[in-house]
This record gives sequence, C-alpha cells and structure tokens, in this order.
Amino acid sequence: MRTLLLVCTFAAGLSGADPRAISMHPFTGQRGLAFTATVRGNNIKDAKAAFPEQPGLRISILNTGTEGKSQFVKLNIEAPTPGRYSFRLVTDSGVSNSLPLQIIDQPILPEPAGTHETPATAIPVTATPAIFTGMIAQKGETDFYAFDAKAGETMTFQVLSGLPSIGAPGGNANGFDPSISIYEPAGSWFDPARLNRLAFNDEPLWVLGRGTDAFLHHTFKKAGRYYVRLDAFSGQGGPDYSYYFRILPGAQTLEPPPGKADWDERTYTRALSADRLNDLAQRGGKPRTQKSVETYRMGSKFALPATLEGTIAQPGESHRATFQVDGPQDIAIEVETPDLAPPLFNPVVRLLDAKGDEVVTNFFAGRGACTGALNKGLTPKTIFPLRNPGTYTVEVRELTADLAETGFKYRVQIRPQVPHLGKIAIEEDHINLAPGGAKTVRVTFDREEDYRGAVAVSVENLPEGVSVLAAADYEPDKDPPPFPGKRERYVPRTERTVLAFSVADNAALSTLPKVARVIVRPVVDGKPGATIASKEIPIMVVAKP
Amino acid sequence: MRLCLFLTSLGLLAAPKPVKLQTVPATVTLTGAGASQQFLATATYPDGTQADVTADVKWTAKNATLQANRATAITDGPATVEAEFDGLRAKSQITVKNATAQRSFAFARDIGSILTKRTCNSSACHGGVKGRGGLKLSANALFPKDDYEWITKGGAYQVLSAEIKGERVPRINPADPEKSLLLQKPLMQIAHGGGKKLEKDSDDYRTILNWVKSGAPYGAEGGIATLASLEIYPPMATLPVAGAQRLLVTAKFSDGHTEDYSNQVLFSSNNGEVATVTPDGIVKGKGLGETAILIRAAGFLASAPVGVIGPAIPNYPAVPRANFIDDAVFSKLRKVNILPSDIASDAEFLRRVCLDLTGTLPPPERVREFLALRDPKKREKLVDALIASPEFTDYWTFRFSDIFRVAIFANGLTPKFSQKYWEWIRDNIATNRPYDEVARERLSAEGYGAASRHFIPYNQIGPPADVMAEEVRVFFGRRLDCAQCHNHPYENWSQDQFWGMAAFFGRLFKAGPVVFDHPSNMDWGSKDVDGKIEVLHPRTKANVKPALLDASPLALKEDANPRKELARWMTAHPYFAEASVNRIWGYFFGRGIVDPVDDFRSTNPATHPDLLAALAKDFQKNGYNLRHLMKTIVLSRTYQLSHQHHPTNKSDVTNYSHSWSRAIDAEVLLDAVVAVTGVPETFTTAVSDERAVGQAPANTRAINLKDPDMYFSRFLELYGRPNRGAIPERSSRPNLGQALHMLAGATYVDRLATPGSRLRKLLDTGATDEKIINEFYLAAYARSAEKEELTDLTQLISKRGDREAALREFVWAIISSREFAENH
Repeated sequence: MRTLLLVCTFAAGLSGADPRAISMHPFTGQRGLAFTATVRGNNIKDAKAAFPEQPGLRISILNTGTEGKSQFVKLNIEAPTPGRYSFRLVTDSGVSNSLPLQIIDQPILPEPAGTHETPATAIPVTATPAIFTGMIAQKGETDFYAFDAKAGETMTFQVLSGLPSIGAPGGNANGFDPSISIYEPAGSWFDPARLNRLAFNDEPLWVLGRGTDAFLHHTFKKAGRYYVRLDAFSGQGGPDYSYYFRILPGAQTLEPPPGKADWDERTYTRALSADRLNDLAQRGGKPRTQKSVETYRMGSKFALPATLEGTIAQPGESHRATFQVDGPQDIAIEVETPDLAPPLFNPVVRLLDAKGDEVVTNFFAGRGACTGALNKGLTPKTIFPLRNPGTYTVEVRELTADLAETGFKYRVQIRPQVPHLGKIAIEEDHINLAPGGAKTVRVTFDREEDYRGAVAVSVENLPEGVSVLAAADYEPDKDPPPFPGKRERYVPRTERTVLAFSVADNAALSTLPKVARVIVRPVVDGKPGATIASKEIPIMVVAKP
Repeated sequence: MRLCLFLTSLGLLAAPKPVKLQTVPATVTLTGAGASQQFLATATYPDGTQADVTADVKWTAKNATLQANRATAITDGPATVEAEFDGLRAKSQITVKNATAQRSFAFARDIGSILTKRTCNSSACHGGVKGRGGLKLSANALFPKDDYEWITKGGAYQVLSAEIKGERVPRINPADPEKSLLLQKPLMQIAHGGGKKLEKDSDDYRTILNWVKSGAPYGAEGGIATLASLEIYPPMATLPVAGAQRLLVTAKFSDGHTEDYSNQVLFSSNNGEVATVTPDGIVKGKGLGETAILIRAAGFLASAPVGVIGPAIPNYPAVPRANFIDDAVFSKLRKVNILPSDIASDAEFLRRVCLDLTGTLPPPERVREFLALRDPKKREKLVDALIASPEFTDYWTFRFSDIFRVAIFANGLTPKFSQKYWEWIRDNIATNRPYDEVARERLSAEGYGAASRHFIPYNQIGPPADVMAEEVRVFFGRRLDCAQCHNHPYENWSQDQFWGMAAFFGRLFKAGPVVFDHPSNMDWGSKDVDGKIEVLHPRTKANVKPALLDASPLALKEDANPRKELARWMTAHPYFAEASVNRIWGYFFGRGIVDPVDDFRSTNPATHPDLLAALAKDFQKNGYNLRHLMKTIVLSRTYQLSHQHHPTNKSDVTNYSHSWSRAIDAEVLLDAVVAVTGVPETFTTAVSDERAVGQAPANTRAINLKDPDMYFSRFLELYGRPNRGAIPERSSRPNLGQALHMLAGATYVDRLATPGSRLRKLLDTGATDEKIINEFYLAAYARSAEKEELTDLTQLISKRGDREAALREFVWAIISSREFAENH
C-alpha cells in the first residue's frame, strides 16, 4: 500500500503533457550555411527556445503553429563544422526529447515544390555528387530523380531516413524504411514510355537494432538518361517522412553507423580486446591488474585466457583448437564477428571434452511457452563452470551447412570469469517536473559472471529545489518460463534500482533545462569503484498544468 | 465405321468389307505348365478406322488348346492361333517353353491377385485405412508381407501404433482349411458385410484352399521374377457409343518374361457415363467423351484411356502442324474423330497471347498495328517481343508468387520477408534462370536468404510433413498427404515413404530468422532441454531417416544439409520436368494435361501422355528454360486454334480441339479494367484511407503488388484472389457478389468518365461515337467493332438523350461483358 501511495503521489506531481518532437525536415544542413527546418510533434507549439546538446550549433525559433493533428516549430539552424548534432525544444511544459541533426561539407539541394511521381516531373540531377533533402509527403508517394550516365559509369545511391523504421533504434510505429529503384526509360511493346527497373535496394536487411536505409551502387551499361525512384516501405508516407538522398560518382563504401557509446557486452560486434580482463575487472570494482589476453590461430593449442581468430571461408568448415584445464574453473566464452554478424554469419561455438562430447555451446535451447516446441538461438556470450580437469577442444563453425565467405570472420575469447556489472540502462531521456511533484527513474543493470557486489547510483548537478531519493517501486511477479533451458549460461541476472526525483513546493521555475548527470559505480569490499556508466538528463521545473 | 458395323448388325446397311485383319499379340512365348494367352482381333476398314472383332472371328489353333480366344500351351515348341473374319485371315505365332514346369507359388502374386480382383483389398473394403470387419489388407496388395501377417496371424490394425490390438484371430485354419475365414466369409458361409465374393467351383477358391492345405507358405520371394509393369492393349481404345473393345493386359516381369494378366486384374471405369467395363475387360461405349479404365493387379495400378467417339469424318483434312505439340494433339484428334477448329484470327490470337504471356491487354495502337501487318512471321515476332517484355517479368513473377505463396502470413509474419522473397522470384523470372536451379535453391535454402523465407510461415518452421508435402506438390505435382497417416489408399505411396521424404525436413530449424539444418550428430544445447532432433514415424515411433521416394534411407553426412540431396534428386527426376511443363501448360489452356495440375496419380491419367513426355523431354533438353517452353506452347497451332467451335468439337473439353474460354484471374481482370477505362486503381492497406498505414505507389498494377494480402480490395476478394495461406487454387466460378459489384461497385461504376479516363479524353477531343466505340473495342477486345455492332451501338447512343450518360453505359457494358472478362 505504501508503494501504491508513493506512485499516486508521483503521478499527481507530474508536469503537463510532455513535449514530444517526432520529426525534423530537413535533418541535414551544410556547414556554415543557415537553413530552415521544421520540427513536427506534440505539445511543441509553445516552444520558446532550442537547446543544443553540442557546442557550435546555433538554433533559433522562427515560428510555431498547428497543422492537422500535429504541431510544428520552424527553426533557423546553423553550425560551423560538419558532424552529428542534436538538440531539444524548450516549451512551457518543459524540455522535449532529443532530435538528431547532421551537418555536412557539401551543398544540399532541397526537393523542389510539387510532386515528382513521374519521369516528366522528376527532379533533375545535373552533376554528381548531388545531395538532396526531400520528403515522402503522402502515403503511396514516390520521388523520381532524373540523371544522365555514361556507358560503363558506376554511381552510388544512398537514402537516409529521418524517421527510423520500426525495429531500428529510435524507431516508432510509423517508421520510415526507404528504398531505391533505378529505372531506364527503355519502354516496352505495350508502352514505349514505360520505365524498366534496373536495380533495387531495400536493404540492409531488416535486422532488429540496425538501420534500414537503402544503399546501392550500379554500373550503367549504356549511356543515357536514367531515373531513380525513392519509396517508403509498403507505401507509407506523410509529413514526418523526411529523407536525405545522395548520388555519388563511383562505387563508394557505406559509412559505418555511429558507434554506440554504452557498454553492451552481449552483441556480436563489440571488440574483444586484449585488455578485456582489465575492462571487466574495472566494471567489477577491481583494480586493472589482470594480464592481457593472447591471440591464437585456430588449429593450435592455447592457454587461457585466449582469443581465437579465424574465418569460415568454405561451406562446412569447422575449426578447432585445444587447451588444458588443470583444476575446476569458471569460464566465459565470448564471440565477436567483426565483419558480418548474425543473421548473416552465425558462428556456433562448442566446447568438447576429451571424448568429443559437447560440454557447452553458445546455443541457447529452450522450449516454447505455447507449444513446448524446441527453440534455439545463438548467443554471443556463454558462461560455464568447468569442473573436470583435462583437455578441452573449442570448435567453431557456421550454423548453416552451405554458407561461407571471407566476411565470416570470428574472434572467440575464452577466459576465466570476471564478476562485473554489465549493461546499465537509465530509462529517462529528460525530466519535466512541476513544484511539489516527483518522478521515479529506473536504473537497470546486469550482474555478469556472478557479480555479487553492490551498485551505487548518484545524481549530480541537479537544478535548485530538485532532490533525489532512493526509492522502490512495485515489480509484479512473472511466471517463470515453463521450459527455460540453461538460462543462467546465456542470460545475465538483471536487477534495478529506482531514483525518485522530487521538486520542492517553492522551487523556482526553469527557463532552460539544467543537465543533471546520473552516475553508476560498483561497490565491492566496502569500496566504491570507478564510474562505469553515466547519463546526462536535462531537467526542467515547469509550472503546474 | 463402327456405326456402320452397328447398323449392319441390325440389317440396316450393307456390310462394309474390312481390308485388313490383325491379331494381337502377333507373337508370344508361353512359359510353364498351364500358361495361356488371350488373343484379340482387330479389323481395319477402307476409311482407316479399326474395330475390335474378337468376338466375331473364327479362332483355330495348332499345337495349343483353344477356348474362345484363349490358347493354352500343350507341349514345348511352336504353335499358332489363327483368326478368320469376313474372308480375311490373320495368324499369331506362339512359342511354348517348359510346358510341364510348375510355377513357384508366391503369396504376393497368387493370393494378392485374387484379393485384388475380387475387390477384397479395395479402399472401400479391407484395404481401407483401418480395414473392415477386423481384417486389414493393404490396398491393392501393395504390401503383401503385411497382408500375409494379417491373414495368417490376425489382429486389428491401429493407425497411430504398430501394436496389434485385441485378440489375434487368424483368417486361415490349417487344421481344417475349408473352415478358414478367408474362404467361408467370401462364400457367405459366415455373414460377410462385403457379400459373396467367391464361388466354390472357381480357380480362385481352389488356389486359396490349396495354399492353406499346403501350410500357407509365403512362398517364393528371393530369386523369383517380380511384376515390373503392366501394358495395356490397345494403348488408347476408341469406340463408338454402344461399341465394345476388349482390353488385353500383359504383365512384364523383372526377368523379362511376359504373361497375359487379363484375367488376374480388376477393371473399373473412371466415368461410367462415358464407358463401362466388364470384369473380363470388355469396354462398352455409353456416351461421347473420354475416360480411363483403371486396371488393378496385385501391387500395381495402371490405366488405359478410352475415347467414345462420334461418327467418322469423311475426308478428314490434313491439318498443318507447327511443332511436336501439334503432332501429339492432332494425331489424337484424328483418332477420336474430332476436327480441330480453324486457326484463330489475328485479333483473337493477339488478345489471347498478350494475356497469357504478360497478363496485359494490348493497347489500341498496338492492335491496329498488328492487325495491319502483312508479315507471315508476325506472330512469332510478337511472341518474341512479349517474352522479352518487362510485362512478362511482372506477370510471371505474379504467377510464381502464387505458387510459391508470397504472403505476409506465409513468410514469417513480416512484409519485409515476403517482399524479399518476392524480389527473389522476380530476379529469377527477369533473368530466365533455369527452373531446376530455382527449385534446388528453394528446396535447400538456408540462412537468412530470400528463398529460405518460405520455410517460416507464422515465424515458425512448419512441421516436416507439411513442408515436404508442399514441396512435392509444387515440384512433383503429386499429393502425398494421404500417406501421412496411413499408406495411400489409392496410390503406391506408403506411410514409410512419406515419412522418409518428410525426414529430409526433419532437421530444419530456425535460430531467430536464420533457417538451418541441425546436424544429427551434434547436441547444440539439445540436452539442456531434453530435446531430440529426429522425425518419428507416427505409427511405429521409429526415428525415420531421410529416404527418397524410390529408394532406401540415404547415408547422408550428419552435419550436411540433407535437403541438398533431395533437391538434386527431385530436379533430376522425370516427375519434376513433367509436373513443371504440365503446370505451365495449364496456364495456357485452362487445364493441365493432367488436371488438376498438381494431382498426378495413376487414377488421374494424362489426357495426352505422349505430349506430356515430349514436353518434359524438350524442357529438360533446353535446360529447364521456362521462356523456351512457353514459346514452344504459344507457337503451336494447337494454342493458336480459334475458340469458335463446330459440331465435331463443340463438346470437347480435353483434347484442345479449340481454344477454351477461361475466366481472367482477378488481378489481371482488375488491371484490364484499369487499362480500358484509363483510371488507375488505388491500393491501400486498410478499408478506408484514414485507417490505412500505406498505399501502393500511383499506377501500381494488381499483379505487381508485392504483398497482396496487405492491400485491401473488394474487387480482388470477390473475383477470387487467394490468400496464399495454402497453395492457391483459384476458382473461376461467378458469384452473386461479382454481379452486385458489377452493378454498383467502385471498380465498374466510379471510373467510367472521371477526369483522365479514356472516355473523358475522347470526349474532350471531340471524338465521334463511332471512334469512341471502336477505341473501346480495340482496348477491351483487341478488335474493331463489327459493322452490325457499330450500327446498333450508335443508334442506341443517339436515341438516348444524354450522350455522355449513354457512352458511360456503353463503357460499363464493355467492361462488364463476358467477352471482356474471359480469355478465349
């Protein structure tokens, strides 16, 4: 009951409807040139200011208004140096979520007014490289661009979505997954004006956590006029469907997406460095006194800790290496796939005993809750207690029998377990509170490799009148899965702590957000360790609605 | 000629004189004691027709005993049988070998034949899934060892368990053989639900009795020749209504020797309205048409096509032939006294071939151009242009998206998956990839590739039995499904064979969205949840190993993809080529040579087996090239025959003597309405625009929708668009909803004269009624209006006060007409 009362109190103390920025068009500008952009969203029409999150970005509000069910804010934006920026809107209801923005060196052409759904109304591209910002403004709309190519000429086409697709980071229910098609006006017996598709791309593949922007290069056999068409997946569209499109000469390689700053050890793409034991020890509140991890080629004998490297270049290949264990040891097996990750390259790692029997694998097998059917999934990290001394073999292969290529590179690290704090998630992006109000923020953390220490969470740089208390909230019990399999090998133990942000009744209202910092540290043997995670959260004290 | 014979027999006509008499078989070797042979006599008349005169000739024999038309060996050496009819003589030579050697007893052959011929093991009786009256027999004596067990030891069969249920009561009584249930029941000495099936003075009774008396052995197995095939004479019987034709069944054995099996088989007609057959194999014509006589021997089933034909056509003309298709089709037409229609007009051909190759109506300017061309090669050139057109790629992508089931729910519940799968099909069509390669890739697909998407309907790997049955139906044109729970009651497919095939898909798994084959020799975490990677036979509960339909279990590498071997075998098997060509043929003619196109079975024989074999051979020889196959089909005269029929071929539905009018499929019809009216269709992802999340780009054709199940369309639902939840079987039957939609639906009513429509443009340019009428005729029917049509229509329009309203009604009438909605 006390918990319930606390929640009720907190709910009563929340500010009015939170401002939410959904999209910005255009979301790209040229270095040093001011440009106008429109942010669309909810509860933003009374925006007073923009709050840049990086130095150098200058933004001013031109006007605000309402259009249909959405509200908009027109901005004037300028930045002196190219790069990735972000900003928030400041309204009477508080600070909004963050919107990304990119500034580039090259000139940018806006999509001309009108529709461009036919070759006759195609947007002309007179030279490459050419960069456009445009919008799939209606459901079913397509944008055509017309360009000339020489015989044998190769060009690169890329379209980036300003509204991440469903499943992609930041994606929402109406995500924008753009596609590119290249056409030639070759006609057909039926229709001399028909455009015929030469190439198409709606990839990269739709893998959860990855973007779905389209990228394509094409070599034109014949000289002549060609068209490129941009669509939204499944004919979606609307005023939030902003894109950035570029045509580049030659076959350009795709720029890697910006790396994630947060620690996430259960992905295939994180780097398993030679210093990993120290990195983990630090996250466990221990000093960095661990030895470095040696790297070995497959086919050899090795000693723990070790990183094994190889490439599954031929279908059906399996690589092996052996090591000796002299006494019981808790080990961790981690897999990194630097080039191609699942679902394209799916490394199966098995640990075999001296008889060749499987001791443990990175396959997490369980049974479906509904049907009881056997389900399997690959995991990038496995922990296991090796109890018997002896010789063990590590085997690496591709999940499928027939697929292999030079991009099927793997790095498998086998090492003693190091108790530490794994992934840490701080759930809030920003906080808007009225005087007398309070709000809980959950901090979730993974206990990895039997980390048994405590976790200290603190908040710095709070606005005047705002304080933070340790809290607890209600977490309903969940039925355990009926056929869980050996979850403990593949899934960390996840716990959470709760922070209650509260504002004094007489606290002064904010004119701009103040950026507080939430800091997480391990506490082991009675001593706090180094900071292992922190997050900046803009906070505003706003008038009661 | 047979009509003449019939009338002659009634004394109404002077007897026609045959010009030739022939006995069949011309030579034969009789081996063993008591071996006998039935002979047939065929008379040939001056007009080339033939008749079975077996019953009318005078038979004589030398060195053989003769009973009617059956000769029995006496001693080793040569013998002859001679027939005399209407002044003509014909002779057959017999060689007798080992005339005193008794044949070894074999339960499979000797008892199996009796059980088959007496219908004891028919699927309606003891050959049913669970047997009947406590006795289970394999249908058609397909599994003689099982039959031997049930008869000699008894017991009740269970579908889901190999255990014998209840008390075991043998069907034979070695102590008192005549008291065996196997004899007493069919004699009706004991109540028998199947009635009387045996006579006490018959050879069959004596055979069974002697078998029981001799200790009921299983008899010869190893070393004895086994039945390899059945040959039927005549290969295709043609006879007039009320005419008769005796069938001769010859069994070929594994050691090469042959035996007359005509009295050891069970004859039945597939269609008693066309022809009946007596127990001794005499077919009698009942009504014009075609059917098949099914011939069941122990462990074998064969069929003989029968045509009950009309009167001979005097001066049957020589019909020009364009390729081997015409050879097969026209030869048969000649045989069944049907005259093919004339070749289709250019207009008729143009519309038909455009719809069949591209699903697209030719635009008026192209129609005019084609009709005006005087080039004798213009049809061939047109076909080349159509096959090379992007519309061809669009249309066949749509067709194969149907068969391969591109749909959100069929491909992992995500449009991303189904669109990727669609793109894979489109690439294969656009590049004219050999069809065997396409099949192999689909059958053995793994990983995250497009072709593997069809293995994860509803985001789960389908059960091995379902997956296998679908692949076999798609690529072999056969339905094994019945054998999933029990031996197939009508075909030679056993439950073991079914599960052996299913086991190829038994290691199919998914890890997230990745499809893979779990190695059978590796754990991969299975022990963690006590999971086993195996396919269990539902009846025996044995772990089934992958086995091809015609072979024993394969020794496959335990960590290899077993489906690769299956794919290699399937695409090299004759079934693959014949099923593929038959499916494609079906698209062009409205019915398959075997019809339905994916229901090959011995009880559903091909109407033109030679044509099917020739098409399959040509397909294989040309690298499984779909475009070559289609070109061969559409350049045949058979394809190019007119849909206008005449008295001899009016009722023909199976012999391709004229083009068969076919309802145009929903998507193609909607695109045709759009093309004629000039008003594009808008496809949205919900019933109302407000609720729709997406909308297909402007001018998207219905056949080009990648995920048709995502787009709502009242028209497409009414006209039979399948949901692809299973392999689509489109119905072309009209329904009330279509009629109502035609009267008031948006597809028909809302686009008649809207801005941008064909009619509006013509009106805006001041076109005359005559020009408008002709323009719509060209667009919809690929022909100009006939003079009478033009006169009637212009009068009707002028009589109506409101010209535009009259023209709107005219356009409505055009797109609502049967001529428009059908391909003919």
